[in-house]
Amino acid sequence: MLQRFLDPATLAGLSGLDLVAKTVVNGFVSGLHRSPDYGFSQEFAEYRAYTPGDDLRHIDWNVFARTERAYLKRYRGETNTRLLVLLDTSASMNFGTAAVNKLDYARFVAASLCYLASEQRDAAGLIVFDEEVRNYVPPSSRQGQLFRLLHAIEKAEAGTRTDFTKPFAHFLNFVRPRGLVAVLSDFYEDPDVIIKTIEPLRFRGNDVILFHVLDPREIEPSFSDPVLLIDMENKGSVEVSPAYARHEYRRKIESHIAALGAKARAAGLDYFLLNTSRPLDEGLREYLAVRRGRL
Amino acid sequence: MGFLAPWFLAGLAAVALPIWLHLLRQHKTAPLPFSSLMFFERRTDSAIKHRRLRYLLLFGLRTSLLVLLAFAFARPFVNSTTVASAGGGKLIVLAIDHSFSMRQADRLARAKADAEQALSSLRAEDRGEVLSFGSHVQLMGDPTSDSETLRAAIHSIRESDDRSSFAELARALRSLAQSARMPVEAHLFSDMQKTSLPSSFADLRLGERVKLVPHQIASQPIPNFAVENVLAPRRVYDPKKVRIQVTVSSYGGPAARRRVALMLNGREQSSKSVEMPAGERASVEFLGLDTPYGLNRGEVRIDSGDAFPADDHFFFSVERSDPRSILFVHDARDTRGLLYYRTALESSREAAFTLDVATPQQAADSTLRSHAFVVLSDVTIPPGLEQSLVSYVRAGGSLLIALGPDSAAGRRVPVTGAAIRGTRYAGREGNRFETVIWLDSSHPATRRTTSWDDVKFYQTAAVEPGNSRVLAKASDNSPLLIETHVGEGRVLVFTSSFDNISNDFPLHPGFVPFVEETAHDLGHLDDRPANFAVGSYLELHTAREPGAAIDVLDPRGARALTLAESTRAQNIQLSEQGFYEVHRANHHNELVAVNPDRRESDFSVVSPETLALWQNTGQGSAAAAGTGVSERKPLDFWWYVMLLVLVAAIAESLIGNWHLAVDKEAA
Repeated sequence: MLQRFLDPATLAGLSGLDLVAKTVVNGFVSGLHRSPDYGFSQEFAEYRAYTPGDDLRHIDWNVFARTERAYLKRYRGETNTRLLVLLDTSASMNFGTAAVNKLDYARFVAASLCYLASEQRDAAGLIVFDEEVRNYVPPSSRQGQLFRLLHAIEKAEAGTRTDFTKPFAHFLNFVRPRGLVAVLSDFYEDPDVIIKTIEPLRFRGNDVILFHVLDPREIEPSFSDPVLLIDMENKGSVEVSPAYARHEYRRKIESHIAALGAKARAAGLDYFLLNTSRPLDEGLREYLAVRRGRL
Repeated sequence: MGFLAPWFLAGLAAVALPIWLHLLRQHKTAPLPFSSLMFFERRTDSAIKHRRLRYLLLFGLRTSLLVLLAFAFARPFVNSTTVASAGGGKLIVLAIDHSFSMRQADRLARAKADAEQALSSLRAEDRGEVLSFGSHVQLMGDPTSDSETLRAAIHSIRESDDRSSFAELARALRSLAQSARMPVEAHLFSDMQKTSLPSSFADLRLGERVKLVPHQIASQPIPNFAVENVLAPRRVYDPKKVRIQVTVSSYGGPAARRRVALMLNGREQSSKSVEMPAGERASVEFLGLDTPYGLNRGEVRIDSGDAFPADDHFFFSVERSDPRSILFVHDARDTRGLLYYRTALESSREAAFTLDVATPQQAADSTLRSHAFVVLSDVTIPPGLEQSLVSYVRAGGSLLIALGPDSAAGRRVPVTGAAIRGTRYAGREGNRFETVIWLDSSHPATRRTTSWDDVKFYQTAAVEPGNSRVLAKASDNSPLLIETHVGEGRVLVFTSSFDNISNDFPLHPGFVPFVEETAHDLGHLDDRPANFAVGSYLELHTAREPGAAIDVLDPRGARALTLAESTRAQNIQLSEQGFYEVHRANHHNELVAVNPDRRESDFSVVSPETLALWQNTGQGSAAAAGTGVSERKPLDFWWYVMLLVLVAAIAESLIGNWHLAVDKEAA
């Protein structure tokens, strides 16, 4: 029953992103079968020898009293990771024919990821970009981080055109190694350019998930009459016949999706297509699958 | 190229529909924002153009379908030139005026000579036709190329007393041009009287292939004096009361003094001199005519001294007879009705009737058939007299009944049997008198009696008219004058009396005309004129005497009717001036005077401008003049346009279905 709350149309009726995120994550988790792999209680995991520089607060003094050796006690909850959500707010993200537009859908996903990370004590951060970096919340697991993230997500508005090259060159300065990067975008760019731009993140030990957010009408457009289409980013226009949209365009977009997925996987990136008419749990499931691989 | 029904071209406006559907409507597409046009290449535009081209094909088919349909209904045609006739000849018509005015000097002879000269232009491939015309056109033979035959036809034309009519000639030429199927060149030989023109110039229209060549016999008008009209009574009962009015006209003549003589049976009765103003009319009146009993030939002559003596005399016929008697039946005590009726009868224009007065008892013993008609003036009649009256009326006699207080007490009208519902008296209460509110002026008895308005009726009998004809009504809507047919005769019922007590009608001017006209009507006096114009018709057989043989002698003394015609002919046309004798089966003979139409006496000629206009109504001048005559005939080809419509409709259906199939896939 709670799955109903993961429907984008239902979530669009909720007032705040925090409530959306909480509804999504709780609903999603309630639907999962209990599994030791996905627990996030603070149960004991292992001892590790003290090395200079470790925090002294984590030394197990009882072991030190018995063995006079300093060991650090590590818990499963402390095997956390660093999540950085890259949210594309280009003008094309404002397109939508389903219950929510692409940007809102990406906001829900980003908020849910942040909430999920916060629940797992993971450090979460956010970069909002279009052709520039519009907002940046550094990853942190401190108290209040979740609200900063949700606030930044809430404030994100559709901007100008997408340009991966410029903001991603800038990301490299913010992204720390061995983290998890979730990129939420509609990826209207040549797959080669996208992969070549994002690939450096992977080289620095990060796991990268590409969430390709598309409206159902972008995947399968249908017009009964010839229409004049206006590009939402560069305001260019072109007349489109129904036959072309039915055949030629579909072939091109499917080819684009397939190429992007293939090249991403070839580059060690995770790729996931998010259809805005689908429930959000599919995106979360992908995130957790990737995170499990990191444990 | 032209159109036989060009108003159907208005259907071309329907082309606006496909234009709107294909060109205007598709440009009204609202722009649709889309996330990215990354996958819409320039090839997309060409695809749309390609598709638009396909739509343009459909658009073109639909447009041409509508245009062709409008063209087909507009009946397009092209003029095709064909040879009009074999050999390229023409029909030369020689039209010779033989009207009364052509009797002047040697006009007809000159016309014939000119016509013979015109024959010289007849070529081997031409055909000739001779016709003479007055008020009607007479073809003198069939079209032929033989000059001698045509010459003989010209010679056979005789003078007539008819009047000429150019309208009749134009109509005949149009018919000839239509039937001849070759250009017509009409040579007109006439004195070109202005009076021969019709009132409407359109009647002179000649037609497409008629060329008119006028040959004017007389170019200048001549002054002429003529007896224009004579007004004389047809029947004379008292020679002293006869009055004859003569109108003498001067057509272009100078002021002159002319002697007018009144002749009867070839003997001059009297004569008068009249001063004729220049170009005007003058009237002469003769009082009294010493007329012997029977049919008499009257004539008025003038010594005109002009160049056309044929119109210096005017014929009229006069019949002298005794007046007929009217049996006036009244109560011996009532003398007032008799007094007023007798006085009115004696005051009439003609003394055509005398009055025999009798009481009902005396009338019952008398022979009714010897009387012109019977008057019952407020009497109660014995049954024997009523039976005699019924027999008299049924045999064709006439009866005038005045219903006074005595006769109205009988509760029914004698002879007709119409019910009398009572007698209305004017009283102190209500209406003091009744007046006439309606009068049937179409009836002979009432057509001259228009002054009944002030007549006051104090007593009237309320008669049920039934199916009888009501000729006058009182203000209370009761009938005042009723006509009833009984057998072959008629009964006229006046629902009041003639005694100046029940009404004051005898004191009014309308009473004398009423008595006179009812006497004329009931006494069967015909009112035909004393003379007729040449060309008019005389009625011979009526419904009452079908099959009776009638013999008619024309002015030359010859029989005008064949034996078969004498029993069947309804009428005869009076074509000659003079006296026609009509002998009927009941030994009732008539003498009919006939005179030429006096418009023929006016020798004013048609102006050259009018003649030129008349010639211009014929459009075949050039065609008739040429030798190789060609004719332009419209060739209607709407059927071929309809075939194109069919082809376009099939193509439109196929292409339209194709587009529809694409739409189904979209759905």
